[in-house]
Amino acid sequence: MRTEVIAPAARTQLRSGFHFRRLVPLWLLLPSLLILLFVQFYPTAYTIYISLNRLRAGQMIWVGTANFERLFRDANFYESLQKSFTFVAATVIATVVLGLLVAVLLNQRSRFNPFYMVMLFVPWVISDVVAGTVWRWLFQQDYGLIQNLISPLTGGTSLYARPQGAMLIVILATIWRSLPFTSLLFLGALQHVSQEVLESAALDGASRFTSFFRVTLPIIRPTVMVAIILATIGGLNSVGVILTLTGNIPATETASVYLYEQGWRFGDFGLGAAISIIMFLINLILTLVYLRFQREE
Amino acid sequence: MVRSKRQKQFDSFIVNALLILVCLVSVFPVAYALSTSFKGETEVITRPPYFFPRTWTIAAYEQIFRSDLVRYHLWNTFVNAFGASILIVVVSVPAAYAFSRYKFRGSNILQLVILALIMIPTLTNLVALYRMASQLDLLNTNLVMIIIYVATGIPFGIWILKASIDAIPTEVEEAALIDGCGPLGVIRNIVIPLALPGLITTFLMEFVFYWNEFLIAVIMLSNNTMKTATVGLLDFQRSYEVAYHVWMAGSIIIIAPVLITFIVLRRQFFRAMLQGAVKG
Repeated sequence: MRTEVIAPAARTQLRSGFHFRRLVPLWLLLPSLLILLFVQFYPTAYTIYISLNRLRAGQMIWVGTANFERLFRDANFYESLQKSFTFVAATVIATVVLGLLVAVLLNQRSRFNPFYMVMLFVPWVISDVVAGTVWRWLFQQDYGLIQNLISPLTGGTSLYARPQGAMLIVILATIWRSLPFTSLLFLGALQHVSQEVLESAALDGASRFTSFFRVTLPIIRPTVMVAIILATIGGLNSVGVILTLTGNIPATETASVYLYEQGWRFGDFGLGAAISIIMFLINLILTLVYLRFQREE
Repeated sequence: MVRSKRQKQFDSFIVNALLILVCLVSVFPVAYALSTSFKGETEVITRPPYFFPRTWTIAAYEQIFRSDLVRYHLWNTFVNAFGASILIVVVSVPAAYAFSRYKFRGSNILQLVILALIMIPTLTNLVALYRMASQLDLLNTNLVMIIIYVATGIPFGIWILKASIDAIPTEVEEAALIDGCGPLGVIRNIVIPLALPGLITTFLMEFVFYWNEFLIAVIMLSNNTMKTATVGLLDFQRSYEVAYHVWMAGSIIIIAPVLITFIVLRRQFFRAMLQGAVKG
């Protein structure tokens, strides 16, 4: 902690302005805090309020927990949660494992070819909507390039035509898009692992695999946690890729897409807000669980 | 564990081969989109499909340049993303500086709350924000987009910027404070120049994110002249059923500016990221 910013000599000089000086951090934080208050905290509270109401002809009518009760009886919502779970689990696991692999590969090199790095980062600069559009074209059922290559495997039918197939495409596109950033996160962490520790592990006779799992991985664990949290939240709230890739067919209707549909296509804001609250709680619980795991170290 | 020279050569060959494979997978969908965008309308519906156009044509781009995507949407996207990213950096730098250099009651709790905001999905607040925007008559404006983008971007901005300000030694600042420089003067004259890679990285990440943002835009913007490019592209999908070359030309037009920005600023970005700008 850097407690003392001001050197002793300056402190006597500033003593008269002591109260002002104590308020300095507040002034510096004020713009951020005001924006967050009005555009983050207030809307969250308002969402809770809306979730307890029903909108009829622009009028809010208090309905208590009716929206939530409706939601808990709604089989479609449970199904959408299940799809969210599949989607998140698959994308997070694949992104983290592949990200570690790519980072380890990059870490073998002493300098990074800028050409490689830019190529690797192409998926990151692309919008989820553009990614969805491009991948949709690759798997288009009649003229898609990849679809034509794999059609002998799928018995000539489109991958889209099967529910698992559609989900698979959405998952692949999402992994493709999130891999570069995750890899870079891990690479940054790997470069901070001290060479001495690895050398002494090697002297103790640890193979490269053992030393990765026993030495390197525990050291970079906080970064792995950050990557898992970011990928989980990204996945839970993913709408753009799914909407453009499969065009909200039931097979890929995750909870986030379901929320979008209920809230804006059907204009049921009360139910939409209720789904938002549930999703928020899921996010919160997952984050707390991850942080707990990390703290235990 | 001494590895022979041959073993090392083999390792390096495998590493390179795998990296090239990863790069190819990363670029392939975009490369195919690029080549498709130069195909004619009959070539995109030819079976079996092939990679390069037989006859190169810019017909798709002619169509795109006459469309609303280029007429309105790209400009809106630029205004919203650029305006929001600049504002995020301007507002986050003093906040990150306050967290990095001052010790005050509640600092840790406040930092934790702001960090937690990153974990709150945009989706959570959208119903409320939509209602608020419609009551304030702000739907279909660049202003509402910038306000929401700034609010959702600040937590991440503060997080990255604090890490890069933490890395600056405090001695220079102390000297400046003795010379009677106020906190804002210190930020302007010392922190900003020294933390520039961090600032550029923050700007780049926010710019890329909001250039590509879709969910808030699709909900707040229904007026065609106010839509952003990602929303416009979805409309394209719906109105040009099988004109894939036009979809792809649209995609390429949206990718190009942000890819160029990335290539220009990549050095600072990679440096800041590898120094651990985003850490646990």
